[in-house]
Amino acid sequence: MLRERVSEQRKGIAVGVLVGLMWTAGKVTVPWVVKQGIDNGIEVDPPDLGSIRLWGLMILAAGTVSAGFAGARRYMAFREARFAEATLRDQIFAQIQRLHFAYHDHTQAGQLMSRGATDLQQVQAFVVMIPMTISNAMTVIAVTVLLVLLDPILTLFALGALPLVNIMGKRFSTRLFPSVMGIQEESAQLAAVVDETVSGIRVVKGFGAEDAQAARLKTEADDVFGMAMDASRTRATYLPAIELIPNIGLIAVLAYGGHQILSGELTLGTLVSFNLYVVLLIQPLRMLGMIIAQAQRAAAAADRVAEVLSTAPRIADPAHPTPLPSKGPGLGHVTFEGVHFSYSDGTKVLDGLDLDISAGESITLVGATGSGKSTVARLIPRFYDVRQGRVLLDGVDVRQAPLTELRRSVGIVFEETFLFSDTIGANIAFADPDAPREQIERAARLSGAHDFIVDLPDGYATEIGERGFSLSGGQRQRIAIARAILADPRVLILDDATSSVDPTKEHEIRDALGEVMEGRTTIVIAHRPATIALADRVVLLDRGRIAAEGTHDELLATNAAYRQVLAAIDRAGELPEEVRL
Amino acid sequence: MRGVPSGVDEEDRLDAEQAKHVIRRAAQMMQPYRSKVRLAVGFIALYTASILAGPYLVKWAIDKSLKPGYDALQRGDGLPDDVFRVLNTTIGLYVVVAIVAYFAQRMAIMTLARVGENFLRDLRTRVFAHLQRLSMPFYDREKAGVIISRMTSDIDTMQELVQQGLMNFVSAALLLVFALGMLTLVSWQLMLVCALIVPVVVVASIKFQRDSNRAYLTVRDRIGNTLSGLQEGIAGVRVIQAYGRQEIQTGRFATGNRELYEAHMDSVRVQSWYVPIIEFAGHFTTAAAIGVGGYMVTEDIVTTGTVAFFVLTLSNLFEPIQQLSQLFNQLQSAGAALQKIFVLLDTDVDVSERPGAVDLPPTGDIEVRDVVFRYSSGGDTVLAGVNLTIAEGERLALVGPTGAGKSTLAKLIARMYDPVEGTVSLGGVNLRDATLRSLRQRVVVVPQEGFLFHGTIRDNIRLVRPEASPADVNAALDALGLRERFEELEDGLETEVNERGSRLSAGEKQLVSLARAALVDPAVLVLDEATSSLDPGTEQLIESALEVLMDGRTVIVIAHRLSTSERADRVGVVTEGTLRELGTHDDLVAAGGHYAALYATWTGGLTSAS
Repeated sequence: MLRERVSEQRKGIAVGVLVGLMWTAGKVTVPWVVKQGIDNGIEVDPPDLGSIRLWGLMILAAGTVSAGFAGARRYMAFREARFAEATLRDQIFAQIQRLHFAYHDHTQAGQLMSRGATDLQQVQAFVVMIPMTISNAMTVIAVTVLLVLLDPILTLFALGALPLVNIMGKRFSTRLFPSVMGIQEESAQLAAVVDETVSGIRVVKGFGAEDAQAARLKTEADDVFGMAMDASRTRATYLPAIELIPNIGLIAVLAYGGHQILSGELTLGTLVSFNLYVVLLIQPLRMLGMIIAQAQRAAAAADRVAEVLSTAPRIADPAHPTPLPSKGPGLGHVTFEGVHFSYSDGTKVLDGLDLDISAGESITLVGATGSGKSTVARLIPRFYDVRQGRVLLDGVDVRQAPLTELRRSVGIVFEETFLFSDTIGANIAFADPDAPREQIERAARLSGAHDFIVDLPDGYATEIGERGFSLSGGQRQRIAIARAILADPRVLILDDATSSVDPTKEHEIRDALGEVMEGRTTIVIAHRPATIALADRVVLLDRGRIAAEGTHDELLATNAAYRQVLAAIDRAGELPEEVRL
Repeated sequence: MRGVPSGVDEEDRLDAEQAKHVIRRAAQMMQPYRSKVRLAVGFIALYTASILAGPYLVKWAIDKSLKPGYDALQRGDGLPDDVFRVLNTTIGLYVVVAIVAYFAQRMAIMTLARVGENFLRDLRTRVFAHLQRLSMPFYDREKAGVIISRMTSDIDTMQELVQQGLMNFVSAALLLVFALGMLTLVSWQLMLVCALIVPVVVVASIKFQRDSNRAYLTVRDRIGNTLSGLQEGIAGVRVIQAYGRQEIQTGRFATGNRELYEAHMDSVRVQSWYVPIIEFAGHFTTAAAIGVGGYMVTEDIVTTGTVAFFVLTLSNLFEPIQQLSQLFNQLQSAGAALQKIFVLLDTDVDVSERPGAVDLPPTGDIEVRDVVFRYSSGGDTVLAGVNLTIAEGERLALVGPTGAGKSTLAKLIARMYDPVEGTVSLGGVNLRDATLRSLRQRVVVVPQEGFLFHGTIRDNIRLVRPEASPADVNAALDALGLRERFEELEDGLETEVNERGSRLSAGEKQLVSLARAALVDPAVLVLDEATSSLDPGTEQLIESALEVLMDGRTVIVIAHRLSTSERADRVGVVTEGTLRELGTHDDLVAAGGHYAALYATWTGGLTSAS
């Protein structure tokens, strides 16, 4: 994956490398000109003023080249790196959107987040290094060659210890990284304590848990301290050593070079230029050490990113899709034929389910936890594929239907409401961002959301979510229902969609839902008797099969299992909140 | 995404007055570390001086040994006597300097880290302690996110400074001062020529500092947007797929991501013009040292060693300047963060412990006398003169419409707030005169929803008494009849509850909350009943556990169900800030007042629903 990225951007990277080499040329020339200036200008007898001026101007020229390309080198390297990062992030996002439900069921959101954030940062840092590294390596080579030509033995003294800078640089980077990550991790844990204390301040104060929380914070603060000191110790160990090594070179240059001068074997200018070259090499050598450590991390990060990108979405459009019938009366006929289904963890959920829901019919699915109610709801829009048997919508196997068309035809409202950080209006118009205002309001009215929305500071334009207005669970559910209504699906599925709605408000929604359900296939999964009674037919599920069906009253009268399930839903005596005294 | 250079918002930027204040106050907090700070600065100074000592020794060697020897050789004379001695002495000194530099740098890093990290640790515990002392009015006023950021992003900003910036900042600043001083001392004439470039560097650095600050802020902002876009795309993937909106969402994300790329590039561009200027400045001074310095050598104004000294020193002087202007951003944002923290530390604690406060007696009789309450001065009156006496062991249900004041009354009894007028006393002691510790031991508030903290179920139960033994926890659970329920779980009481208890159902969380209260064993229990039904299955268990918990204690329950008020000893009806009716359930129903009407609606509603 990394290779593919690099090869796609090879032009930009090549330019970056070229610019880097120009920088190298300029940078390496300067000390050489300094040597010429000293030896052939200042130290000739009599001093040659013209030549001094000439060498001074030469330094200025080489310096200008070096400086100009230093900026360009940086710009090119970062441009390619940031581009690679952005492109990969787009790809990851698109891939996440394509991946099937089962993938998301067993992948933690946090993991996907770090693929798109920290992992890409590692990759980015590596791509930056490519042109930088090449020019740094060239600098090292060029300087070495030049110095050997000037004086091989002095070169040995000057540069002999420098490879240690490289080795130490790599070790330093490898050792420091875990501590730096550790600081971040420990800080995150500390933040978690602060977060829960502040969010739960009523509990902290109500139970008098201040001391307990303070003790926990102290532990976390100590951990951060420990990690930070670890990082500092690593710095204290390596940084002075890394700076000591070139000093050894400089001392050796002065010692050997000085004696060479005194025996007439070496010029003053060469001595000064050797000094400059040693100093010049420190930075490139340190960076070469870092890149080795960085490359290891980037390779690991790139592997993780590639793993996400190479996962094949298991639910995809068929090669030759059969369009769903779009005309004619009686659309929304749902059939389950001998459906077997188990989740990837192996729990068997549906065990040969046969169920026929006529177009326009409304049914309620009732059953204990784990009876398969929600699974039935999730198979119709093909969030998962059946293991055996088939699910048909208007006579078409859902696996044969075009995915987008299928999903547009089936509207589902989940128990856990997810709303986007956007305006309420945009959230409702999710299926059709261009829906006119009247349509949005109509959907909101039908879901019982209109009244509280107009009471909000900005009405339908109120921003909700992370940085906006926070709504109650019941309000959120009503917006989610409005969102489904606006999509105008032929099959509407409400999966425990009113569980958080205040019981006294629920009847309003119930009344309105009657209108929505009119002529539309509706599948309701509910606990509350009044909601259950709304449907034409009640289907009682037990361990993945139909245990009984009929109207609510029939089942209540004849079926003991049904009564048992309902009895478990003890909600007698909730006090209507808006009964004003 | 860390590693983003810090920037400081225009509105957060401290003016000179504020900066002085922040520095003075930070210095005050550093008081205990004063000697260590001095030591650290001393080491940094020593380290910095040793960096400059190297080139100076080279100059010394050239002027006193190499040049005379070189010249003598050129002339064909014999070498002067002391050239080898001087050279060897210089080499010896250089060795000493290198060793000193090594140890000084090492000690400087460690000393500074110890001071800085200790300071941060103190700051963290101190700010947190203050946060917990602050009372409910503060939490009503401020957004949770803002409060949390004081302890997280603000202190983290300083952490980054301590970890990476501070040492570099101090040593770069010192290096600059020392170098300029030494260069001027060695040759003010050559220094004057080299200084021609200084105005360019200063102007460029100021502009860079400003531009990069702006660029970093934009980057930070857009990173936030991109990450929340990514997060939303992951969390909302099921809804997006259900509505077939994958492409639209991907397109939207790409737009934001593109903006982030542009912001990054903007910041790269800022660096890309500044870096060459700094590098050029280095080369310019080198050229000046050779070109003009060479001329000065011929005129005997400076020595060859001086030219070498200038070349060697100046070629390394400009990188620290570049660092300085970046670190200045970091320093400024750390200052702004510190300022915000000081503001927080200066916030008054409304509900505080009076000096000489006494422990509350272990009884549960409560008296509320003439209590008037407003959440903010000038705000609506929430309670307008409430009088109420609750006997020890009595169970009182408070009912009334939302916002009428029943929860407020309950909160005043737990001293979450102090009444504006009137008094609340427990066992004859005014709550204002009681120690907070004894108050929290006597009065426990169980909120509507069980709120769990990170840790195991056991940790959550013994939240307030971390020293409680497993036997104590078991005893509390047994008493409430809950032990089996939790031991059924795969890891039993050791089950980790993550992300605020997401692995437990709402009912189970409430059970933990009840067990927690039982372990405290308070005399008074304030219960806020859940409005919506909890999961079937735990409802029954909660009922029975509550019965045990309430037994023998004074209980004030904010009732949402009439079945609860039916079972209470007395019922108080709170409307419009007053205690409208007070009596037994039967009396109130018989009296035919508000409660009776409410009761009628409820029984009527119940029959029509089923």
